[in-house]
Order: sequence, then structure tokens, then C-alpha cells
Amino acid sequence: MKKIIIGDRITKSFGEREEQRNVLDELSIEINEGEFVAIMGASGSGKSTLMFALSGMDEVNSGKVVFGDRDLSAMGENELSDIRRTKMGFVFQQPIMLKNLNIIDNIILPMMRDNRKNVASISDKARALMKRVGIGELEEHDITQVSGGQLQRAGICRALINNPKIIFGDEPTGALNSKSAQEIMNIFSEINEEGTTVLLVTHDAKVAARTERVMFMRDGKIVSELKLSKYDGTNMDTRIEKVTRKMIELGI
Amino acid sequence: MYFRIIGNDILKNKMITLVTMIFVAAAAMLVSLAAILTINLSGALDTLMTKSKTPHFLQMHSGEIDHARLTSFAEKNSNVDKFQVIEFLNIDGSEIILGENSLVDSVQDNGFSTQSEQFDYLLDLDGNIINVSEGELYVPISYMRDNITKVGDKAVISGQEFVVAGFLRDSQMNSTLSASKRFLVSENDYEKMKNLGSIEHLIEFRLKDLSALGEFETAYAAAELEANGPTVTYTLFKMMNALSDGMMIAVILFVSALVVAITFICIRFTLLSKMEDDYHEIGVMKAIGLRISDIKRIYLVKYVAIATVGSILGFGLSILFKGILLENIRLYMGEAENSSFAILFGIIGILLVLFSILLYVNGVLKHFRKISVVEAIRFGTSQEKSSGAKRFCLNRNWLFNTNIFLGIKDVLTRKKLYATMLAVLVVSSFIIIVPQNLYNTISSKSFTQYMGIGDYDMRIDIQQTSNISEKTDEILKEISNDRAISNYAALTTKIFKAKMEDGTEENLKVELGDHSAFPIAYSGGKAPVQENEIALSSINADELNKKIGDRITLVIEGEEKDFSVSGIYSDITNGGKTAKAVFTDNSADIMWSIIIAELSDTSMVDNKISEYLSKFGYAKISNVDEFVTQTFGSTIRSVETASYAAVAVSLIITVLITLLFMKLLIAKDRTSIAAMKALGFTKSDIRIQYMSRSVFVLIIGIVLGTLLANTLGELLAGAIISSFGADSFKFTVNPLSAYLLCPLMMVCAVLIATVGGTSGAGQIKISENIKG
Repeated sequence: MKKIIIGDRITKSFGEREEQRNVLDELSIEINEGEFVAIMGASGSGKSTLMFALSGMDEVNSGKVVFGDRDLSAMGENELSDIRRTKMGFVFQQPIMLKNLNIIDNIILPMMRDNRKNVASISDKARALMKRVGIGELEEHDITQVSGGQLQRAGICRALINNPKIIFGDEPTGALNSKSAQEIMNIFSEINEEGTTVLLVTHDAKVAARTERVMFMRDGKIVSELKLSKYDGTNMDTRIEKVTRKMIELGI
Repeated sequence: MYFRIIGNDILKNKMITLVTMIFVAAAAMLVSLAAILTINLSGALDTLMTKSKTPHFLQMHSGEIDHARLTSFAEKNSNVDKFQVIEFLNIDGSEIILGENSLVDSVQDNGFSTQSEQFDYLLDLDGNIINVSEGELYVPISYMRDNITKVGDKAVISGQEFVVAGFLRDSQMNSTLSASKRFLVSENDYEKMKNLGSIEHLIEFRLKDLSALGEFETAYAAAELEANGPTVTYTLFKMMNALSDGMMIAVILFVSALVVAITFICIRFTLLSKMEDDYHEIGVMKAIGLRISDIKRIYLVKYVAIATVGSILGFGLSILFKGILLENIRLYMGEAENSSFAILFGIIGILLVLFSILLYVNGVLKHFRKISVVEAIRFGTSQEKSSGAKRFCLNRNWLFNTNIFLGIKDVLTRKKLYATMLAVLVVSSFIIIVPQNLYNTISSKSFTQYMGIGDYDMRIDIQQTSNISEKTDEILKEISNDRAISNYAALTTKIFKAKMEDGTEENLKVELGDHSAFPIAYSGGKAPVQENEIALSSINADELNKKIGDRITLVIEGEEKDFSVSGIYSDITNGGKTAKAVFTDNSADIMWSIIIAELSDTSMVDNKISEYLSKFGYAKISNVDEFVTQTFGSTIRSVETASYAAVAVSLIITVLITLLFMKLLIAKDRTSIAAMKALGFTKSDIRIQYMSRSVFVLIIGIVLGTLLANTLGELLAGAIISSFGADSFKFTVNPLSAYLLCPLMMVCAVLIATVGGTSGAGQIKISENIKG
């Protein structure tokens, strides 16, 4: 299977000299194209740092990150920006949006930088995405006028607007109630069905149970892996149980 | 604890603290300088006028003088303390050679006098009454400043040799605005020179009580005593002496007001952003029951520290710079006796600045009351309403580049935030444009028309001589046959009695002749055309209380004749008290006459002047440009310097404030910037966004500043100009510099400052500002 991201013995440390601490410690990871993967770990285990490193948002101290056939660790900032804008999508725990733009403007923003002339078709695409995730009527709303769940859906639309090869989600349901969280996970499943790779960072067993492969992190290393089948809407309880058992086993 | 808090805060915001302190120091320095200068000016002026015993009332008179009648008037008038008549021997500039320089180009009336006996003394540079010996010449101080001569030089006056023994301060004629300058020679030398020029008399009075001056003036006019020449009073002497330095003080005060305003803007902005940063903490402090005054104190203490250090710095600077600015006052008027008080007043000025800053900080801190505890703890930031510009949407934008769009959109939605920067930019462009327009205006040819001088090239004065009428005709005859002269007019000035409403009479100098040949600018109405029309200078119109269309009665050949006021104009010539009419009169004595002419080839003016000078030795012939240069030259030059200084100061202010603003903005926008970067916007994208913000604000600022400059600025400049006697005033704008060059310089300044201020944006780490 073709790999979309390879992290090869990456190390990332914070702090100076004696206080230096490796948050990622010679960690290696491979994600296949079209895969739906979750990374789990306790707070401080380095999972968000891993996501920032894999997406080129943060430099690594050693090792390398390859995206497709390109070495991210050898790229300049502008090239990294270009890749993030055209090939990747991001969904954060707090859907960070620009306060002075309305919902649809926030969604089309990443695409407008390069394709201003096609504003009409980009906006149409955004409307279609919004409709699909159930916020079609919120187009002209300010970001302060909608609920957290609605805002997170808008965040997903923004991540999808460029037809990315991979979507990174950093605790995408962390700030939502369980009903909203479930709906958001349904959307991620759908996106993955359509062929987009999805990599989620989470500490929620229910979220991890929706993916097909779960990696567990501790002290900057991947310590274990759990393979699940593609989720088909059944056996959710069993999947959750498997994930939870593994977590207990690893003491996470 | 306070020291620790202040120390940490200052270390964290080095740049912002420094800029605020610089502004406080500048404001303190300027206010202190203004106070020191004011005290010194008034003190030095008082000392000069007291030591030299300046006359309270001076009547210049050319022609015969009836000593006995004047003496008996002085003795009978109970207000008079002392009375004297001084001779002023007028000698043409071409006959005066000082060292290697001749005064041939001087437009001043240069005259010679002996030292007075009772009052109106001429003083040396130490403030002592000069005792002049034979063969010695004392030269007016202004020729020292202009480097015309130095002590020890040989001087030749109409062939007679002198040695320049020193320079003199003349409380009457010191000012460049005064048209005459007095040289001092010994009695014996004076007697020898007497026949070399024309004698003018200075009829001088000291009164027992200066407040009786008005009463005395009326009495003098009513007694129909010698009055063939201008009248000057003590107040006018004082004003003329104080004017140029007074203007400098006014400018310093104006600039310090601006700097204080900018300091306030700076403080307001930093304080509000600091409060924004500390929103959560403030909420917590309020929640746990700290009083608002306690919280306020924490913030206030920092500003007490900044303002105190800034003020001390400013005071030091003002002590350092005062010497340079006091130079002129010291040179023209000498030391002030109260100069030790000056420092005290400087300190008082600085304390005023200090307290107003602290009061202002205290006022800004009132915002604490508005902070809702619940909102602060729950959201950590104030929930500012983004308002307006709803129609300005990215999904409808096809015009602007996305980065530029984002910049403009941000300005439109956070208007309140950008209002601060806008205010500074408006002020900056205002102070760039106003002095520049003022300079263009007063240096333009047409401006002289506002000053009562028409647009002619050559001016021939026939005065202080006998048979003025014949001599005028003689010159006119020559001119009418001169093909090089394309246009000319002769104007004769005579004195008539004007009937006042209360029945008294006052002397009115009326210039008769064709006023349409070289029109001047009228602030209202038009030039007199009919025999029964008269135009008044604005000072005369004020004093006589006349408006356009009013009637005024003159006594001509013993008969009362009514005139209607056809127009009012500004005039700086002849003390500003003139009138113009066209009627013919053969009765009254001619005081003086002038012939003004325009040449077909203006480059020939100097040749023409020499030609006429050689033919008509009795006339004073001058180049108008030179007349204007010598009268206003120093003022025009000061305004020019001021306009360059204003450009420099504004650009510095613009750069500093933009830098500061951008730094604060970047700090405030950390999360948004991180989000942008995560979405794939590059460093240069973000820089372009911030540049578009500042350029957009700048464009609005320049437009508003220019509009203000051309309305309010014109009014302000008009007020300054009117102090010279001109009161109808329109800016002459140099569009290239005012509308292209200056805005361009501001754009460059703002862009450089924006790049500098936003350099921190590149260092913002996505991972540190986006919480997973």
C-alpha cells in the first residue's frame, strides 16, 4: 500500500540544556493512503506535537518527515505553507476562525489566496459542503452567532474546501457534547469513505473506536498499535471495549 | 511588590515603554522650553525697555518743527512726565559703508542720532547706556547678526570715516519688522554730518502713567501739532520686539500640545491592549474581591514611573537646549533679570504635563468598571462586537487580492482599534501639510497682494524731501517715455482729518491715485473707483469702526466731504494704518509719494534701478522682490525651516506610532496569525495583510489630514498671518509636494514601520498558539 506520510525516527525537544525534554523521542510512524487512523495517549504524551510535526507546522530536531514523495524536513517555510494549503486540511479542538469574517468566508479562505478569480465556484462548493454537514443555512452568520458543534462543522468544511489528500484532526470532538461529537465522527467517516486519509489525535476511546487503526503513545514514543476493521456502523460497543482494554493494559 | 510588577512589565515591553517615555520626555521638554522662553522673553524685554526708557508716545515728523509750541503743549498736559525731540538723520544706504559692505541694498531707513539725554537711550550689549566718543560709530545689532560688520571695522558714511566701536540695542527699532535703524555717533560728528542727509524728528513723550496713553493720543491729535509721519506707542514697541520670539514660543507650545496629544493616544492604546491581555486576571482579581482602586493602582504605578523618568529627562533636555533658543532673545534684548525664575516655571510646566498624564491614565483606567467578571473569567477576552462592513464579504470579492481584502476587512470591522492609529496619522499629515502650505503661500508672489503690495517690479519712494510734487512729475515724465516700462502708477499720500462719531478728529493718511493699475487683494469689497469712495486698511477699519458701505467724513480744503467705504484690505506698509481713494486734491501737503512700475523684461529690474538712481538721486528706488525679502525674508526662512522640521517630526512620529501599533496588534492577533499559518498562509501573506491594514488607514488619514489642513489649518495659518496685518487668506498649494511627495513619504514611513513592527509575526509558532 502506498504511504502518504512517513515519520522516520523523529525527535522533537523543548526547553534548554538541563531542562531539555524530548516530547517526541526517535518516533517512527507510517500512514497509508486512504487510511483512517487515530493516535491516542494521555495528556503530555506528545500526540499533538506529533501531529504538528507530521503536518510541517513545527520543525523536528532530528529525523525526517516524508509527505507523499517529498521530504518536509528539507523544505522552506513557504513550501510548507503551500503544501498545507493545497494538500492538507486541519480541524482543531477549538475551531479557530477569523473573528471578522462570516462563516462562509472563513471556509473559502484557504482557497481564495490562489484562486480569487473563481470566487463564484469556490463559494458554490462551500455552500454544497455546508449543506452536506448540515449548516447550509448559516452561510452569512458571524462566528459568534453559532454553536460550538456548528462551528466545528464549519471547520471541517474549511478543511475540505481544497480537496486535501489528508485531514488532520486534533481532538476534533473534544469541546462538543456527545451527540454533536457523534455527528462529527459520522462526517469524518464519510470523508474517509470517499478516499481522503484521516488522522485524528484523541484521548476519547469512542472516537478512536471509529477508526481502522489506533496507535498508542507514551513518553514520546508509539508503544502499541491496535488494528480494527473498517467501521460499518455495527459492533461499536465491542470496538470501544477493545480500545479501552488496550488503554488499561498500557496504563494510558 | 509594585517594583517587581513594574520591573517585569517594563522588561517585557521594552520598546513600548521606551516610546511612551520618549513622548513624555519630548512633551515635557517642549513645555519646559516654552515656559523658560516666555519668562526670559518677557523679562529681557522688560529689562531692555526699562533700562533704555522707551518712549510711551512717538510721533515721527519730517519737515519744520515748532519747538516752543511742542514744549508748551508738553508742559500744559498733566499726563506728560518727560518730553524730548531727537533728530534722526536719514542717509541713503548707498552712502553707508561698513567694513567691506555697503548698505546700498538695504530697504531699511538708516539714520544717525546722538545719545538721548533724558530717555530713549541706546544701550550697548551689556545693557549700559553708551557713551560715544568722537570718531566712533555704534551699529544696530541686526547688522551684527547678519554679519555685515564687526567691531574694529572702518566705516565710511558719506565720505566721513568712523571706527565701528560696538553694537547697540535700540528698544524702538531693534525688530526687523521696524522699517528704520538707528546708528549712534558723537555730538560733534553729528554736527559735521548734518547736511549729508534729510532730518526727521522723533517727537517723544514719557507719561506719568502709561494707562493715560489713549487720552494723551487724542489730546496730541486735537492740538494739531506736528504729525507728518507715523505715530508709534509703547505697546506697539513692545509687540514688535516680542513678535518674532513670541511666534517661536507659540509654535513650540503648539507642537507640545500635539506631542501631549500623541502621548495620550499612545498611553490609551498601550493601556487598553494591556487590559485586553490581562482581561482574565483582572476578572479574577475583581471576582476575589479586590477593589477597583487597588487594581488601578497596579497599572497606575507603572505610568507614574514612566512619566516621572520621562519628565526628568525632558527637563534635562530643556536645560540643554534652552541656550540655543535663547540666543536671539539674549542678542536683541540682553539677559532677563528674572531668569532664575524661568527654571522654576519650566519645572511647573513639566509638573503640569506629569499631572495631566497621570490624570489621563487614571481616566483610561475607568474602563475597569466596564469589565464584566463573568465574561472575563468565561471567555478570557472582551467579547468585542464586530460591526459594520457586513456587505464587504470575501465570497463577493473579486476586486482585491485576498490578503489585501483581509487587511481592509480587519480595519473596517475593528474601527475603534484603528481609530487610534488613524488619529495619529491625521495629525501627522496635518502637521506635514500646514507649514508647507503656509510656506508656499507666503513665499508666493501673489501673497504680497494680501500684504497691501501690488504685483509690480520697481518701487520709487519720494519722501523726506521738498517739492515732492515736482520731483514726482519729473520722474513720471521720464517713465512715460521709457519703453522698458510696461505699466506704472503714481500714488501720493496726504493726511486728512477724519471726523469721528463723537465729534473729535483724527488724522487719516490717504493714498491718492490710480489703484487699478496694480490691484491688491481686498478682504472685502473693492478698490475705490468713484470720487466719493474710499478703501480702508483693516487696522484703520477696526479702529474707526467702519464696515463696507459705511460713510466716513473727511475734511478737505476746510470743507467736510462724505465718502463711502468701498473696500477693506490688509496692509503691512506704514504701520498698517492707510486708506486709498481716487479724488484729486491740491490743498494738503504731500507726505510722500511713490511710483510703482512694471517692466516688460523683469530681469532688467536691477539695471533699471541703477539707471534711475543715477538720474534721480533724491528718490529711494527699490526692487520689490528685495523689499519683500528683506521685510519678510527671515519670516519666510523660519517658516521654511519649520516646514522641513515638521516633515521630519511627523515622519518620526508616524514611524514610531506605526511600529508600536503593529507590535501591539501582532501581540493581540497571535491566535489569528497562527490559524492563518496553519491554513497555509505564508509569512509574506501575513505581512501583506498588515501592510494593507496600515496603508488603508494611512490613506484615510492622509485624506482627512489634507481636508483638515485645508480647512482648519487654513484658519489657523490665517490667524498667524493676520498678526502680520493680512486678514484675507487662502492657501497656495504646491500639489506636487502636498498631494504626491508628502503622501509618498508617509507611505514609505508607514510601510517601513509596518515591516519592522510585524517582523515578530514570522516567529509566531503555530503549535504554541493553537491549543489542541
